[in-house]
Amino acid sequence: MDNALFDLLDYAVYGTAILVMLIGIYGALAKKSLLKIVIGLSVSDSGLNMLIVAIGYLKGGTAPIFSPGYLDGTNKLMVDPVPQALVLTAIVIGFGVTAVALALVIRLYRHHGTLNIDEIKNLKW
Amino acid sequence: MVGTPVLFIAIPLLAAFLIPLLGMIWKELVRIVPGLVLIYLLILAVNLLDHVMVHGPIIEIIAGWAPPIGINLVFSAFSGFLVTIMIFLGLLIWLYSYRFKKNVGYEPAKKYFLLLMMLITGSVGIVLTGDIFNMFVFIEITGISAYGLTAFYTGRDSAEASFKYLMLGSIASTFLLLAIMIIYSQLGTLNMADIANRIHTMNPTYKIISLIFFITALGIEAEIFPLNGWAPDAYSEAPGPVGAAFAGIVVKASVYAIIRYIFTIFDVDGAFNFLIIIGMLTLIIAEMAAIRQEKLKRMLAYSSIGQMGLVLVAFGFGTEEGVYAALFLMLNHAIIKSLLFFSGSYLVYNSKDKLIAEMNGLGKKLPITSFLFALGAFAIIGLPPFAGFWSKLSVLTAAADKNMIFIMSLILFVSLIELVYYLRVVNRLYNSKEKASSIEVKKPTANALITMLVLGGLILLIGFYPDVVTGVLHKASAALMDKSQYIHNVLSINQ
Repeated sequence: MDNALFDLLDYAVYGTAILVMLIGIYGALAKKSLLKIVIGLSVSDSGLNMLIVAIGYLKGGTAPIFSPGYLDGTNKLMVDPVPQALVLTAIVIGFGVTAVALALVIRLYRHHGTLNIDEIKNLKW
Repeated sequence: MVGTPVLFIAIPLLAAFLIPLLGMIWKELVRIVPGLVLIYLLILAVNLLDHVMVHGPIIEIIAGWAPPIGINLVFSAFSGFLVTIMIFLGLLIWLYSYRFKKNVGYEPAKKYFLLLMMLITGSVGIVLTGDIFNMFVFIEITGISAYGLTAFYTGRDSAEASFKYLMLGSIASTFLLLAIMIIYSQLGTLNMADIANRIHTMNPTYKIISLIFFITALGIEAEIFPLNGWAPDAYSEAPGPVGAAFAGIVVKASVYAIIRYIFTIFDVDGAFNFLIIIGMLTLIIAEMAAIRQEKLKRMLAYSSIGQMGLVLVAFGFGTEEGVYAALFLMLNHAIIKSLLFFSGSYLVYNSKDKLIAEMNGLGKKLPITSFLFALGAFAIIGLPPFAGFWSKLSVLTAAADKNMIFIMSLILFVSLIELVYYLRVVNRLYNSKEKASSIEVKKPTANALITMLVLGGLILLIGFYPDVVTGVLHKASAALMDKSQYIHNVLSINQ
């Protein structure tokens, strides 16, 4: 296959990740439903996590552990383990934030009986 | 030495998660244990600060990996000073809220103290860590506990304020992680000293992009205009002592993070001028907004935002005098704004809307609380015999050293606005012509009274003898300014 196509695919990973992030931020800022806002925040987190893993990727690299290919010398390339460790942490944090957000959404729904942020404005938004 | 810096993170974190278990043994333990932990940490902080003043910074390596690979904690005169303020304030907040409301039962008290310990852990971690990703994790710990504390009261609109805070905080954390990854992808390191050492090799475009993302993300937490939309709601809906915790602990940690990025890590020209501009905007707009507020806590919140703007202006001078003034302001803001939140909570305790208009004649009904509120109000305006005077004076002299007459006059003009809206409240407390408020007052509990008296005493002490803190402040500002020493200290350490 053509090499140029592979290069394009490399960039496509970054492009997709940033696109997912932007979709998430758009959802969080433009949607009226509290649940959709929470989903938007969560989607933008996922996009960022994809981007981070893509940054650490090395073409043809193996997993950053002593895998068979690495030990017998056929494959000396490893992907960067640091971004993967960071992403694990970021996923856990994102999960925690989403859980707190959903708990607040439940409280707001019980208090106001609606999920539309236009109807929940006792405070100045 | 009585311990190492890692205890500031390990002990409160452990205590936070042990609180529910200890509560099963004896319910009173959930209230007692945080206090014991904070007293121990305060002793530790003062001891370490004393040691650092003489022997230079303590750098602790976590898990045996020396920097730049592993995570390290830096307890310098600068970070140690901030940690000491935070722990001291945490202790006072604990003392104040020990029996804040008699009707707060075991379950809410358990959650409150758990979240408060997490908040202190996170904020202290932000200040101590020497690793940018580790700082991100601590910012998230602080953020999540702050969302929880904002939503503490179920009856009010607190969930709304908390959700607003969470939304902005969540976007902030996305930006922050993006900025961290831009730096990592360019330099391949997460250690602050190592980044600072090699930042000049980085492509300027990426450098500016990541700096912008950092400032946007941290600006949300540090209440910089125009990113501070969450702050007035969170302050006014959260319990009174939590307002003090936001003003005194969380925002301080975020301002620290901004300052650490601009002073130590990035070498971008113009970042200091940017700080002055953004600080001035925050100051002026927040004080303009404060004068229009009808609710006491919203007014205090806007005043707090304004003070943080002034702190950024003082840092923006970029000189050692400027840093000294900024640190002095941060110290004063921590004690004075806490006193205002503590006494203000009792002044509007039983009022439903917390309006300033409902505070008529409280000077007679609650003499000590009103007196302390007035003391705090005069101190934060910067009237001479109180602590606030010296910090405002040092900001003005730092501005004069840089020949920034326009900035000086603006600061003085804004002080006038401050004077107007604080005197408006104090006037209501003591003016006997207006019909006295019919709302039943709540006498402060003994521990709340002690807390407020301690803070009032401190304001007078620093006002009359500023020398008690100036020595520490000079060392702390020198420690921040000496960037190459910081890099050398961290990178030369070996296990």
